Amino acid sequence: MSKYSVIGKRVHRVDGPEKVTGSAKYTFDIVLHNMLYGKILRSPYPHARIVNIDTSQAERLIGVKAVVTGKDTLGRKQSTWRRFPELCDEEILCRTKVRYIGDPVAAVAAIDEDTAEEALDLIEVEYELLPAVFDPMEAIKEEAPQIHEGVELNINVTRHIEWGDVDEAFKQCDYIREDHFKCSSQAHVCMETHCAVASFGYDSKLTIWTSTQSSYYIQALVADMLGLREGDVRVIKPHTGGGFGSKFELDSAQFCASLLSMKLCQPVKIVLSREEEFTATKRRTPMYYSVKLGAKKDGTMLAKEVRVITEGGAYTGMGATALYLTGFFSSFPYKYPNYRYDGYRAYTNTAPASAMRGFGAPQSTFVGESQIDMLAEDLGIDPIEIRRKNGMTPDYEVPGQAHIQSCGLHQCLDKIDEHIKERGELPPNRGIGVSAYGFMSGGIFNWFDTPYAFSAAIVRINIDGKVDLFTGACDIGQGSDTTLSMICAEELGVHLDDIRIHAADTGICPADLGAWGSRETLMNGNAVKMAAADAKRQLLEFAAAKLGANIVYDMDIKDQWVHMVDRPERGLSYFDIVKDTIRGRDGETIIGRGHYTPHRKGMISPAYSFGVQAAEVEVDTETGKYKLINVTTAHESGTVINPVGIEGQLEGAVMMAGGYGFCEDQPMDEGKILNPSIADYKLIRSLDMPETKILEVDTYEPEGPFGAKEAGEGLTNPTAGAIGNAVYKAVGVRINDLPITPEKVLKALKEKKQQAE
Amino acid sequence: MSYHCPVCNKVSSSAMDLARHMIGRGDKVHRDWISSKGFKYSEFLTLQFKSFGGEGYKTLAKILEKETKVED
Repeated sequence: MSKYSVIGKRVHRVDGPEKVTGSAKYTFDIVLHNMLYGKILRSPYPHARIVNIDTSQAERLIGVKAVVTGKDTLGRKQSTWRRFPELCDEEILCRTKVRYIGDPVAAVAAIDEDTAEEALDLIEVEYELLPAVFDPMEAIKEEAPQIHEGVELNINVTRHIEWGDVDEAFKQCDYIREDHFKCSSQAHVCMETHCAVASFGYDSKLTIWTSTQSSYYIQALVADMLGLREGDVRVIKPHTGGGFGSKFELDSAQFCASLLSMKLCQPVKIVLSREEEFTATKRRTPMYYSVKLGAKKDGTMLAKEVRVITEGGAYTGMGATALYLTGFFSSFPYKYPNYRYDGYRAYTNTAPASAMRGFGAPQSTFVGESQIDMLAEDLGIDPIEIRRKNGMTPDYEVPGQAHIQSCGLHQCLDKIDEHIKERGELPPNRGIGVSAYGFMSGGIFNWFDTPYAFSAAIVRINIDGKVDLFTGACDIGQGSDTTLSMICAEELGVHLDDIRIHAADTGICPADLGAWGSRETLMNGNAVKMAAADAKRQLLEFAAAKLGANIVYDMDIKDQWVHMVDRPERGLSYFDIVKDTIRGRDGETIIGRGHYTPHRKGMISPAYSFGVQAAEVEVDTETGKYKLINVTTAHESGTVINPVGIEGQLEGAVMMAGGYGFCEDQPMDEGKILNPSIADYKLIRSLDMPETKILEVDTYEPEGPFGAKEAGEGLTNPTAGAIGNAVYKAVGVRINDLPITPEKVLKALKEKKQQAE
Repeated sequence: MSYHCPVCNKVSSSAMDLARHMIGRGDKVHRDWISSKGFKYSEFLTLQFKSFGGEGYKTLAKILEKETKVED
């Protein structure tokens, strides 16, 4: 029997009824009195100087209330990497220069969307075209045009990670191979596009309702860009239809709506179109990998050297983090005694590349897991065995980078091994590929330079026993409201329906860094647990006095029953104790507070999840087309808070990461994205979805709330690598550049046939 | 041994680490120092892109061995 009353139960989402009945309110649904509608004019050129912007005709159009350009701004540049001013490179409304097709140059507020759209056509922008560069390998050449002043070779960020003696270790290797890979871009394709409603009043206070992964970041960034005090900006996140890494930076909808509203003292709403979503928001970072891997004959990997150049696009965004993390996760999930990574992020005249679910790790996992299979084949070792031989184990120190406490990688390998054996002998042209992975449970480095705790929570117990949980955590569809409510209920000893969560409203909730890097369960979960424990302590002080035990007993609350731990039959109703405590404290409300910031936990994260995935594909050798038959994942994420939540994350991840491996891409012509619509951008749809299965592996993470760690982004890491390995197993062709499209498979099959002849 | 960055005085444990710091920072003041010694920052970067083994760092480290303040 579980020692928990709430945790581990299969519960439906706390926001489920609203969502399934269609009554949940998203930013898109918000309508305010006197509200105007905004639209944004964007650059049609990848690189150009702005000579002049004439807005006079647009301003004269009936129904237009305001037009703003870069001249109406304070001319500041921003980024979530606030700690490093040189990385704050994005004005949002460009004043002198545009750097990609889609860069905003003006915004209009009008009485309706059609009028605003019409006004955009009346704005005349005179551009002086500049030479542009789109390919990062070209951008880093001496003769390439410079995209940002003073940035030599367009190198925006460099990152270096090293331990051991790599050069010496390669000399000790029996076998060394060098390979090159290209990882493509990917669009987030959130169901809800970026949108904001901004309302600046005559009280000089700004309120923004927006679809975001971090209310706090948006509050701080908007305040800085508009010269307001943080406390005068309130950001409220209504229900949010997905983020996947695209919504924790200040975006053009939020900034332009706020600027227009400040100018007019009227609410302004901006909703990006699907085309804008594809062309003018950030995307997964494309990466060029060169990897050298050395091993002994028995498969023991001694040294790895990784060199990466990324296509950064026009601005930094969160690209600096992706550059570091792809280097760190290139060493995962193995014990390389000697490792070197050099990463370079190049500016290009393309849409900015930044964070996307997995944050650089899906790229490194595709590369690493493809190469380890190649190595295993060369050495005649089974793919599972080579992973067992080198895989991380509990209490492992990644030199100078991280301390791994819990790690269930080897149990995951065992489960997947069993699964492969159960599948038995496969028909022709069918293969199973495996891919092992790990991921972080939130990031440690304070690049936002916040003075606040990384997560915080407040618990308020009302006279009727109902609990209000205030948290800055952002439920963007991943289910954090449910997870955090469960953690609160478990710690406080009440039922899930005793909890009412108030989240992601900077006006009433404590600051929290938001939903990125798979951080909410561990980081906010710890803060919530601490706040609930603080409130519980206040109740137990009264309960102990009331029970009048003649010896000191430990006390606890479980299932709404306040009791002595060793004599659970002796106790009192939770509801009675709540009333007595409030009355006994002169009516003072019971408020518990909690916060969490990781300390002395290395460079990256306080905890890591691990897993192994097996993808089974069937290839049609006539066409190169292949079908995903089955994706089975053994994932360990410490204590499972809500099994339904993990299943949802897994299915979503297979769809998203399968798409990355299989079909999703953003081809460009001279910086113009050629498939900016759902019709042209190929996603895995419901009919393409393979059978998915999750194999449970139990671990306990000492740093996590009730032993829990991440189960969100990590699941997107393995699939592209598993697909690549499966295609190779099925038909013997290896594709090193993503996505692994039927065209590439067919071409490789033809080349293989020609070589055989 | 500790090597002091000639620009910002950051202390590194080896000339290689100091070279990584200087190329990694890559801001104008660090680039200007490299230029003042008759080298080009971009050449070191290009060396790094082209091959394994950290050749760009190694080349700069040799220069730093001679040019920076070293303490035991």
